[in-house]
Amino acid sequence: MGITSLYFQVMSKATSPSRKSPPSRPDVVRAEKLEAGYSGKGVCGIVSFSLHAGQSLALVGPNGAGKSTVVKTVVGQLEPVSGITLINGSEVDDRTLDFRREVAVVFDDDAFFPALTVEEHLAIVSAGHGVEDVEDVIATELEFFGLTAMAKSRPYNLSSGQRRRMLLASAFVRPRSLLVLDEPEQRLDTAMRHKLATRLRAEVDAGLALLVVTHDPDFLDTVATKALFIADTIHTMTPRQAATAIASENPHAD
Amino acid sequence: MSMKINQRFSAKDIRQYTFRAGLSRTEGGLLELVSEVYTSILGALTLLTMAGALIVALRHSLGVGDESALLASAVAPGFHSVTLLQASATVLLTLAAALLSVEMTMGPVAMTLPQTAWWLGLPVRRRGFIQPGFLKSLIWPSAAAVVVVLPMALGMVAEPTPGRLALSVLCGLGLAWVLYGIACCCQITDSGAWLKKVMGAITLLAPLTLVATALYNNGAGRDAITAANTAWMEYLPTSWPLLVGDGATWPLLLVVLALGLLALVFLHLERITTAQLKASAAAGAYATSSLLSMDATELSRSLGGATSVGKSRVRLPLIFKGGTALSRSVKTLISTHATMALRSPATLLRVLVLAAVPASLASVEFLGNAILIAVALYLCAHFAATTLGATARFSAGNPAVDMLMPLPAKTVRLVHYVVPAVLMTLWAPICFGLLLALGVGSPSLLILAILAGPGLGAATLRAAFRPTPDWNMPAVASPTGPIPMGAIKAFLIGPDLTLIVLLPVLIALIAGGVPAIAFPIQLTLTFLAYTWGTHIRKPKSAKDGGLFGMAPVPVKK
Repeated sequence: MGITSLYFQVMSKATSPSRKSPPSRPDVVRAEKLEAGYSGKGVCGIVSFSLHAGQSLALVGPNGAGKSTVVKTVVGQLEPVSGITLINGSEVDDRTLDFRREVAVVFDDDAFFPALTVEEHLAIVSAGHGVEDVEDVIATELEFFGLTAMAKSRPYNLSSGQRRRMLLASAFVRPRSLLVLDEPEQRLDTAMRHKLATRLRAEVDAGLALLVVTHDPDFLDTVATKALFIADTIHTMTPRQAATAIASENPHAD
Repeated sequence: MSMKINQRFSAKDIRQYTFRAGLSRTEGGLLELVSEVYTSILGALTLLTMAGALIVALRHSLGVGDESALLASAVAPGFHSVTLLQASATVLLTLAAALLSVEMTMGPVAMTLPQTAWWLGLPVRRRGFIQPGFLKSLIWPSAAAVVVVLPMALGMVAEPTPGRLALSVLCGLGLAWVLYGIACCCQITDSGAWLKKVMGAITLLAPLTLVATALYNNGAGRDAITAANTAWMEYLPTSWPLLVGDGATWPLLLVVLALGLLALVFLHLERITTAQLKASAAAGAYATSSLLSMDATELSRSLGGATSVGKSRVRLPLIFKGGTALSRSVKTLISTHATMALRSPATLLRVLVLAAVPASLASVEFLGNAILIAVALYLCAHFAATTLGATARFSAGNPAVDMLMPLPAKTVRLVHYVVPAVLMTLWAPICFGLLLALGVGSPSLLILAILAGPGLGAATLRAAFRPTPDWNMPAVASPTGPIPMGAIKAFLIGPDLTLIVLLPVLIALIAGGVPAIAFPIQLTLTFLAYTWGTHIRKPKSAKDGGLFGMAPVPVKK
């Protein structure tokens, strides 16, 4: 019997009740006068925004504008130059259990355990979050991301796009009230982009809070409920305006 | 989004699961395993032999045991040197500073990149993930303490009884743990950037004080720095293990302090942020890859943790207008080498420090024997050569850049040879000139070393363009962890040519004289090294010498 089977067998024996829905909170994320940067020096304008359950905020802007830096600061992976981020009412701290339970973050980390298969990577995430039906959840996500045939493969045998899919799948095999994605469309084919955007929109409509960095106008148009154009100064936009701005590389486009 | 949640697994469960799943897939045949284990054992034996030789040399130098011709001092009579006490205190201070600096870069509490990416986001107690890294990372400073303190105590303690040696090593362990504890405190509180800079400066400059003292003493006459002037160095905390070896017990309080500090750190392990653990994991991965690529510059950068600000005032022209297309391309390549060298003055400083290391060794009383200096010369020459090969190494890793040049592959390789060859030819007289100033060698040896310079440049090229191990092949399990097949072989390409080129110089140094025949032999070896180092293995399909089997781009005159 393989280790994965053993693992799944142990997982299936656990019997605690289902997770309760989180109590409704006014703001899932609130960034107040947040200045993101390195070594005490900001890389873009000062950002303020709030994000409720059922909302999706897209950060857009040219390369090097500081979008990823803002997102990393929002989720506590970088110290803010100034300002504060509150997640579910508490100052962001990725060391707390609540943060890790509620917030799923997918950056472009190309780091994998060389000896573990795709399925086993996802099992770590799923089991670590105490998901009851790990096998089913993983199978569902592998199918959604087109990785079923690669389930027993190791990450370094996958293409770059497939590894990206695997990373994205890791955010869906666990519970989450806030999902943070940095350019999720990168390295995905058009069909997968569309499929992912549609799914994310459905999840947002069902109550997920989504913070996403994107360069894809169509993706943004489908997913976002509001947008921020990140540059030296920050512009609040509708998704349609932001999509147009991306397409025309003009932050002031209508 | 809504999922049924069950009892969560602990960090230990997840760790074990990851470990067992990985263990079930260890690959590699028996022959590869035997080969790698054999190589590892051989390497360990070589290190032990070198350490043993060092101890024997120290004891012989101190007058214990029989005098051997090989271990006789290479320093000419009448030249002053630095006391062994000052030297040992300087070495211990340097090593302690280097250890603290490296620990602060690598964490010191460290996890791997996959672990930080896949474990730290899980809602389980982080202590279960961080604690093994804390304990595992404690092994390295402990091992370093034993490896450094034991030979020094064996060599320098007047009566090295097992009990005194054990206490001396214990004190060394205490010192290493205190440094580890300080680095951990800095990691937990996210502070100490200034401390790292100070430690880096001490690491670089402390060894030079030995040469400076010796050179000063040789010209100062009665004002020379005496043992009495430097006796205070014995009481530097980094020298306390040697005091314990000589009978003092109060320095053992370091061990109590260390245990207290480690307990404090242990209680606050969970305060280390994910960002810090990721940064140390990235530094660890960088250091590992540079170690595997035997790139001294990259290794130094990775351990120093210096971050580039992405700006430089050095701007040399990369586009030339005059002359033929061929000459313009050659100028561009040479200008690229020069720009990269000038943009990293720390690299040039490191090469200069390496030139001074053999002289530092020779400047110490009792240590100036030919064997030790020869070993130091070889190692320093190799590291200087690989440090200067950074640009060539970059070209080897990014062949597309060279392909943009309308030049045949052979010409490109020769241009890559120019700057390292010139710099190593300049390095040799600096290194041997310092030795000569301290009474080691002769003007003939200096000339012989200058003749070896161009050959050392070729060794730079051979190391830079060596084939890399096939990382797609399954790794072979070894006592030092998984190693890709062929990795050990790749390590030896480059250092081998340095040794061959330096052979006449090293033999002349050890023999104490330069016979006339040494010069033609050196010239021949330098020429052979040049031919070998600049040789390009042609693809089987290539008939024209173009890069990667492609025809060279026609050159417009």
